[in-house]
Amino acid sequence: MPEVVVPIGPHHPALKEPVNFRVIADGEKIVRLELDLSYNHRGIEKAAEQRNFIRVLPLLERVCGICSHSHATAFAKGVEEIMGLEIPPRARYIRTIIAELERMHSHLLWLGVAAHEIGFNTLFMWSWRDREAVQDTLEEMSGNRVHYGMNEIGGVRRDLTPAQIKTALARLPDLEDRIQKYVGMVNSEETMLIRFRGVGKMSREEALKYGAVGPTARASGVDYDVRRDDPYLAYDEIPWKVITDNHGDVYGRTRVRVGELWESTQIVRFCLENIPAGPVRVEAPKNAPEGEILSRYEAPRGELAHYIRTNGTDKVERIDIRSPTLANWTSVAMCLTGQNLADIPVIVAAIDPCLSCTCRMVVVHRRGGRAVPGTAAGESGHDPKSRQDGWRP
Amino acid sequence: MSVLREMIGNFFSRPVTIRYPWIKVPIPDTFRGRVANTDELCIGCSKCSLVCPAQVITMIDGPRDVVFKGKTLARKKRPQVDLYKCIRCGLCERHCPTGSIHLEHVHAGTGTDRDVRVT
Repeated sequence: MPEVVVPIGPHHPALKEPVNFRVIADGEKIVRLELDLSYNHRGIEKAAEQRNFIRVLPLLERVCGICSHSHATAFAKGVEEIMGLEIPPRARYIRTIIAELERMHSHLLWLGVAAHEIGFNTLFMWSWRDREAVQDTLEEMSGNRVHYGMNEIGGVRRDLTPAQIKTALARLPDLEDRIQKYVGMVNSEETMLIRFRGVGKMSREEALKYGAVGPTARASGVDYDVRRDDPYLAYDEIPWKVITDNHGDVYGRTRVRVGELWESTQIVRFCLENIPAGPVRVEAPKNAPEGEILSRYEAPRGELAHYIRTNGTDKVERIDIRSPTLANWTSVAMCLTGQNLADIPVIVAAIDPCLSCTCRMVVVHRRGGRAVPGTAAGESGHDPKSRQDGWRP
Repeated sequence: MSVLREMIGNFFSRPVTIRYPWIKVPIPDTFRGRVANTDELCIGCSKCSLVCPAQVITMIDGPRDVVFKGKTLARKKRPQVDLYKCIRCGLCERHCPTGSIHLEHVHAGTGTDRDVRVT
């Protein structure tokens, strides 16, 4: 049967954000996938170069609506290291609490989206209902459900009151109970097993080869987590374990995320119960000395990297953000090869893609010297010849 | 089976949804809502205007006397916030030396006036 190109996007009813898939299919089987990203480029990196260290944090939080704390912490952590600042232990604990609550709400959101993609809308409603408890806790602690605004260079902006800690601890048993149910459901519910098992399989070698990060890599047996392997905040003082799985398919990714949900509740519980007393910030200098750093952070979707270069002023000279979704796209292109067309939504959703976070890469075409939106297709996908005339500005 | 048990349990539980607008979700005391300024405390230092990431605070003329640290000061400026563009980040509140500019614990509300400003 001849190969057929199925174009999906950039504007398509099934897509939540603009992306262009060119699925090359042979009948029902996918031969390869070509991806066009960067339809949502917002110029955040350039805008960040214009703002001082106080004003840049709210901007960087807005890189992503789900992992807003991740971006702000990765940046603050990097700049503090350049400045040689040691933040107080209480600030480290508060940052950790917010980070893990963020991971919980992100994974609960993902669980709902994945369930929705397989038509299991009951679970979608349940997990989003439970996510509200996490969102309420975040709102009480920070003042907002999405953009917490907790970070500043030198510590955190708000302290946690005993009443807030008590309320958060009171919410945890219910959440733990619910998460335990999800753990059981993922392992026993036929609706999920049938649709997740054996779909989008990726071996450990392939995960390493294509640079997968986060739960996507850990589901293929890659035992790597920035929180443990390059500890930051309070993670080296907390008892917790990295969740890995050897299934390598969407089922494995679900198991890893649900396992991480449980670990996050335990981290939050430990931090709330053992939060040290003391100040929540130290005075930060206005200017940062000349320097450069690659600040790594385990965001809910995987390893997030902020490359920061400072030049002795109160602004960054250059910031480059590598979001986890960008690292995972190549593995999606690989996973889809040989799968059925109907499995596209669930395989794509399995990496928890965030397209707006991804849109900051530009590739300069060698032949024409033109700047074109980035592509993240792997060996199985990218074919420069087929793209020769395909670009439209 | 776990799903079935859960579904049956839900039949006998109260609905999670609430009857808005008759019943409203309680707003926590820490909520970052609409910006407000207490004129008697504001010394017109412009700090809020300088730290605002959305650049929506402008200093306008507002001659008045302000008591600050036991002294009466003649001040000329006061902040004006463009509410439609405000992102409720709370940096103005964090950096205000007198606590005059602050975020109220109310939902910002909706409206049709794009030029609504708070002084």
